[in-house]
Amino acid sequence: MVVIDVDPGSEICEPEVPMSPPVPGRAVARPRTNRSGAPPAPHPVPHPAPRRRSHEWRPLAGAALLDRLRITGRPRPEPDPQFVVTLRHGLEQGLVADEPGETHTDSRTGVDHLGDVDPSVVPPLVVTKDRLNRVLACEAHHAAAEFGDRAYTTALACGAIIDVLFRQLVTVGSIDDPVADGLSALSVDDSQRDLVSWIRRLPHPARDELFAEVERQAGGLIRRWPTLDPGWMPRTQEAMRVRLAGGAVELSARVDLAIGRPVEDRASVAIVEVKSGTRRVEHRADLHFYALIESLRNPAPPFVVATYYSRTGELDVDPVSGELLVAAARRTLAGIRSLRQLAAGAEPRRTPSGLCGSCAALPECDPGRRHTGVADGGPVRDQVPR
Amino acid sequence: MIGVAEVTSALVAAPPTPVDDGVRARLGDDLSARIAPLAECLPPGEQIVVTLPTLRQALVRPDSLMQPDEPFAWKPVFVRRSLGLEVVNACATRRFRAPADAVGLVADEAVSDWERTGWRRFYWEPWLAGLAPGSRAMVFAEAVSWATALWSSLDWKAFSPPPHFGGTDDQWTCPAARSVRLKGRCEVRVPLAHEPTSTGGENSVASPTALVSLSSGCPGPTWAEELAYLAMVAGLRSPARPVPARVVGLWPDAGEYRVAEVGDQLLAAAADRTVATVRAIADAVSPTDA
Repeated sequence: MVVIDVDPGSEICEPEVPMSPPVPGRAVARPRTNRSGAPPAPHPVPHPAPRRRSHEWRPLAGAALLDRLRITGRPRPEPDPQFVVTLRHGLEQGLVADEPGETHTDSRTGVDHLGDVDPSVVPPLVVTKDRLNRVLACEAHHAAAEFGDRAYTTALACGAIIDVLFRQLVTVGSIDDPVADGLSALSVDDSQRDLVSWIRRLPHPARDELFAEVERQAGGLIRRWPTLDPGWMPRTQEAMRVRLAGGAVELSARVDLAIGRPVEDRASVAIVEVKSGTRRVEHRADLHFYALIESLRNPAPPFVVATYYSRTGELDVDPVSGELLVAAARRTLAGIRSLRQLAAGAEPRRTPSGLCGSCAALPECDPGRRHTGVADGGPVRDQVPR
Repeated sequence: MIGVAEVTSALVAAPPTPVDDGVRARLGDDLSARIAPLAECLPPGEQIVVTLPTLRQALVRPDSLMQPDEPFAWKPVFVRRSLGLEVVNACATRRFRAPADAVGLVADEAVSDWERTGWRRFYWEPWLAGLAPGSRAMVFAEAVSWATALWSSLDWKAFSPPPHFGGTDDQWTCPAARSVRLKGRCEVRVPLAHEPTSTGGENSVASPTALVSLSSGCPGPTWAEELAYLAMVAGLRSPARPVPARVVGLWPDAGEYRVAEVGDQLLAAAADRTVATVRAIADAVSPTDA
């Protein structure tokens, strides 16, 4: 179940928030400074604000946003060690069935395992949300993305900056200058060094547009995100890992925000992912993957997983249930099987989809070219913004 | 899965039979004798420093041992442990409720102490003082996440006397090959009993301790000897103190913990692993005949 944050109340909403999501790429915020040194970009012409009707959607803010996370409308899942054993059993059995190697049976749980894998001989197959999404969408797309160069875009840059600004807001409670703070934060992360360099080399119009969007989204975060009580143990970029099949497979994730101290007798953790782009169907699957890993690694499952869209202020909330976890385990198992087959040298299957337009393998992919119309000399459609 | 009560009970349980001083002395002699010939192959001036991460690296990615070290530069992940430990210490002594409460003030105190006295307790104080707000926030965020993982893993009210956080790394320099040093770093040292324990030697009268080691990732199949390595280095470094009785490893990313009860056999396994690691590093840095 997805609960979308439609709130008819007026007292918790902000009058300055745009009434509808902005047009992508259009600067709607006023950058306070022009960092490029170029003449200031012209401000967008303000349109007269439409008359507000009582049923119009407005983003949640403050305590209402927090309540939407805390009160899902469903009972919190009960910690059930036997259910977790069954969940793991399902995953492990699915992997054992594929594996001709030696297995042993756990006398306590009755679960068949592969023997422990020596990591010096066989590194684990690391399964992330991105790998799952790609391989389940199209194996050829996954194979192309695994070995392709990382292409930077302004959307990706915006996402990286918003991620660190959200982290800053949660940790220290304020953001002074979104662009300066964001770039400063990225500059102390080795893995983002190339991205920072790419941003600094952007042509002025594109850079101004990026910075304006960062300021706009950061403004929304500052206005809407409530202060989190330190007693709730808010932690950012929390790594989560679970090894399966004796270490042959490792489920791996890093969540933007986890709130609530994990305890043994109650589902007490909420997980929040922040997205700076548009809402996409894979985001729900990402949340369910997080819920699965958290349930396998801690005594109690999370009670809720949510995506916060900083571009619009939307909050998608998924209460965690047994059904959700079972479905996530099935999907994960399907993805692991594909990943293992590809790693073993199987020919990747080609599944035309909305990803074809942005796929690096498109020039050599007949089904993809037919799907996008390129094979007929037509224009590429299905361009998917990242 | 880390059950707080379960792991805390395992940590403070009655210690096993202490390692005899004679065993400890033979362990040191044996290590020294086996390491010395390996060190003879090193290029002049080359040093080998073995740490817990090196042990793991030599097993999983031996090729990476040959990569030259990058010039050191401070970054948030280098600060998170020392700042995080100070944060957990501040919470354990009830100055603060939770890591997110403590991090800013603890860091500010460290910087102001350095500004006032010129003494760098953590070494990173000048770097942190010069950071822009965005970078500084990332340091705090890393430290809070790290500290929260440790803070959430144990029942801090269960320790009496109170544990000791961090401190200097244990170091042992191989007597027969001064170019080889073993370093051990644990996060917490927990006294296990008020009564001092004699381990059979003249000098060994002190309380037994347990060590806590926090790692990222997942425990591998050789976790026991890796945890025992920390006890071994601590024991070799300080002959006047008992060899740590146990080492508890926490892997919060995976929600797992392991307990290594330190005995003669496990120490011998840790020594074997150490020698294998020194050999791997020596092979990596020594010029080949071909």
